Amino acid sequence: MSESQKTIEIEVLRYNPETDQAPHLQVFQVPFADDMSVLQGAQYIKDHLDGSLSFRWSCRMAICGSCGMMVNGEPHLSCQTFLRDYYPARVRIEALSHFPIERDLVINMEGFIDKLESIQPYIIPKEKRSLAQGEYLQTPEQLNAYEQFSSCINCMLCYAACPQFGLNADFVGPAAMALLHRYNMDSRDGAAEERMELVAAEEGVFNCTAVGYCSEVCPKQVDPANAVNINKTNAAKDYFLRFLSPKGGSK
Amino acid sequence: MSKRRPYVRPMDGWWKKNPYFVEYMVHEGTALFVAAYAFTLLVGLVRLGQGEAAWNGWLEALKSPLSLAFHAVLLVAILYHTYTWFKIMPRTLPPIIVGGKKLAPATITGGGLMAALVASLVLLGLVWRIAQ
Amino acid sequence: MEVFKADVAIVGGGGAGLRAAIAVAESDPTLKIALVSKVYPMRSHTVSAEGGSAGVKKEGDSLEYHFNDTVGGGDWLCEQDVVEFFVSKCAEELTQLEHWGCPWSRTEDGHVNVRAFGGMKIERTWFAADKTGFHMLHTLFQTSIKYPSIKRFDEHFCVDLVKEDGRCQGVVAIEMASGEFTLIEAGSVIIATGGAGRVFRENTNGGVVTGDGMALAYRHGVPLRDMEFVQYHPTCMPGTGLLFTEACRGEGGFLVNKDGYRYLQDYGLGPAEPTPRNKAMELGPRDRLSQAFWHEQQKGRTIEGRYGPVVHLDLRHLGATKLHERLPQICELAEQFLGVDPALAPIPIRPAVHYTMGGIMVNGLCASPLPGLYAVGECSSVGIHGANRLGSNSLSELLVFGKVAGVEAAGFAKSVAPGNSASLLKQAKAVEQRVTGLKTKTGGTEKISVLRKEMAQTMEDGCGIYRLADTMQKTCNKLDELKARFKNVNLEDGSSVWNTDWLLAIELEYQLDVAQTMAYSALQRRESRGAHQRLDGYEQRDDVNFLKHSEANYVADGAPRISYGDVKITKSQPGVRAYGAAGEKAEKERKASHV
Repeated sequence: MSESQKTIEIEVLRYNPETDQAPHLQVFQVPFADDMSVLQGAQYIKDHLDGSLSFRWSCRMAICGSCGMMVNGEPHLSCQTFLRDYYPARVRIEALSHFPIERDLVINMEGFIDKLESIQPYIIPKEKRSLAQGEYLQTPEQLNAYEQFSSCINCMLCYAACPQFGLNADFVGPAAMALLHRYNMDSRDGAAEERMELVAAEEGVFNCTAVGYCSEVCPKQVDPANAVNINKTNAAKDYFLRFLSPKGGSK
Repeated sequence: MSKRRPYVRPMDGWWKKNPYFVEYMVHEGTALFVAAYAFTLLVGLVRLGQGEAAWNGWLEALKSPLSLAFHAVLLVAILYHTYTWFKIMPRTLPPIIVGGKKLAPATITGGGLMAALVASLVLLGLVWRIAQ
Repeated sequence: MEVFKADVAIVGGGGAGLRAAIAVAESDPTLKIALVSKVYPMRSHTVSAEGGSAGVKKEGDSLEYHFNDTVGGGDWLCEQDVVEFFVSKCAEELTQLEHWGCPWSRTEDGHVNVRAFGGMKIERTWFAADKTGFHMLHTLFQTSIKYPSIKRFDEHFCVDLVKEDGRCQGVVAIEMASGEFTLIEAGSVIIATGGAGRVFRENTNGGVVTGDGMALAYRHGVPLRDMEFVQYHPTCMPGTGLLFTEACRGEGGFLVNKDGYRYLQDYGLGPAEPTPRNKAMELGPRDRLSQAFWHEQQKGRTIEGRYGPVVHLDLRHLGATKLHERLPQICELAEQFLGVDPALAPIPIRPAVHYTMGGIMVNGLCASPLPGLYAVGECSSVGIHGANRLGSNSLSELLVFGKVAGVEAAGFAKSVAPGNSASLLKQAKAVEQRVTGLKTKTGGTEKISVLRKEMAQTMEDGCGIYRLADTMQKTCNKLDELKARFKNVNLEDGSSVWNTDWLLAIELEYQLDVAQTMAYSALQRRESRGAHQRLDGYEQRDDVNFLKHSEANYVADGAPRISYGDVKITKSQPGVRAYGAAGEKAEKERKASHV
């Protein structure tokens, strides 16, 4: 019984657009167990203390990307962040930074989805192949060249870690750029040139000032900062090669 | 009528909110010290062009206690800048494949710092030899 | 109320819904598609599938083998003509996904690699490390962006279907961000809302897996078929139920009891060999492995853990390098959630609810008995899983039947005249009033979290790995009680924007309906078959009386009425389901008798 008597204070940034002018903090006492995730803490609050608390979650195993929150000011997936790492101190949870708050811990992610859609996140084949011809051959090395960047779960922790995105919401940002890079690096794809326009655009890679925190917080080791910075080089190369070749340099 | 009213949080003082951002700002700030030192050297070059008296005046100015203190501060700032610069370097480079494996970030950072150290020592040695 | 006129409306944006949407778009680019999902598509539960997707690929494998594995694995409760079609299309669909960019794991020469999986005779499981579902879902989602005719309604929660002239003509959904209702008129509707595993307490499923589409179709008179067959996955994390993929065993992992003994050899799955042999030991089917755990527990040979008895999944002999290359997510899960490094220590595991074999009754073309209504994926019962699904068949199902559903629904939509908008809107407004009533009514005393917990517990008690008439009856009674109590529910949140209290209440109502179909179907199946195992005098399979599909029919304000339908047998007569050495012997005998 001693375990169940332990409690931890969870402080939650609440916001209800229908009643609140601005977000405010509310503290809850939650029974503590050392294998409890921050998400389970939030679920306890919803089930037992305040049914009106809103947050997104689903898979509980760090793959669906729904449950990102600021935990004591740092972006985390709440399902794989554990209360024991904060206990006995109070832990504060807030909606992901740099995004508009719809309600409580729920952010507005429409802008992110627009960005994802803008980068042509699909294979535009270098050479067409019919199904009867079977699969494209791709060696493990060729797979390696992009696999890391294909592991992004769209949790948007990297955007919450990017002050440049906070200052300019138009910046395409780390995750979308990592996905763009993923397709550019795929041996089956032939559309790097088409995507270059966005890389070099005003909302493109040059908004990045190499803070690097996006890659620090990435739960899947995608290293989006790397994708962004490689594309700075690519964009610069492309820019200069344009002087030499009328067709552009990204080939 | 939709009752949605998305709340946008202000960005004021954003860089104070996370130790990582503070480090980033200090890193960016120390770039000014790098620039200041470059400017100091540039002034030396200009003075050299203005003749021996001007050059000697510049050398004398460098020896003042204020200048020494200033250089000590510069040294610390530039060392910090060097360290944080190489720390971020692995994030900015395309993958370096050695023997079929991606080079670890720590190796790249370590290599960069080592190169900076060696370059500094060589330069110091050269200057030392010339001064002799 | 917002009204959107679509040709095809798809409810559910997981693997099946996305594949269907793409199929509609490719079959006719002029058709307008509404893809309605209560989460952004990449959050759908397809994302959690780990091990892989089946399709004949390797030399020496054949469609016939895949057919036999599937039908035998399903304890002959499969629609054999549908299975035959299914196995013939798997590889083509998986190749299609390859063309769309899915990062399948490769052999050295660049071909797609395959791995061993439980109940499969030959390696035929295509995989993308141990994140196959994740990669398939993201590939499908990203590819879907290519098609301008797919209009997504992300974070729109579907609350009802609308019918007119005896056919399904659209859906009503709540925009979660505003709490406002939208009517989507459509010539045809595809339900692709996934399973219902969350009605159980310990399960591998995401929070979204609440049987929404099943309940919607059911309430509109479409039977839910074979709902008593609920798959327990044998290797899950105690407490949370999180999944350790079958690929752990496909790569050579062992299951051992408290004595370090590979106990599966005691349950007709042996002999125990140091390296994996297909269809034997750890590569037996999921129902058998989960049942073996239960027996070990009875014998006192399990290990007492914090959340009850566990056995060990031992991967140590695979070595750190292979573990990190082939099973990276498993390593991450074990380390983060349990503090166990699988290269150094065995992982404590136990069975948990994983998959609903049954679902919305549809024919081989994904069409339900209600004209204009189609269903695909885990929410549907197209007939390929029978009484026990083989791991890696369900991801292929999403693709093969996602395409079928899309093409069929597109054809149907083109064949019908536009509906009567005024009448549909009137229906939608009635739906709005009813659903809004849930949050505006006052005086209720029941808490949804309490009802949900009691439902999950009673399902666990009565519809677990082994079943008894009296506990199943108790579960049926309990569910009836919970449905009655639901009418007296009290919501704490009356607001409009992102009111998850309200949405959870609607989900709970769906879950209660689906849970009832499971419990009542189970109670009335007086035999043991596949995942439905009884200990009360019905321990054997009974092909005379129960080589039948159960069909749960909705009865307003009452318990479901269970009826039975025939099983399509074409070329595989029901036989003994044997694995391990016994299975090989049985197969040889079958072959000999054929000659």
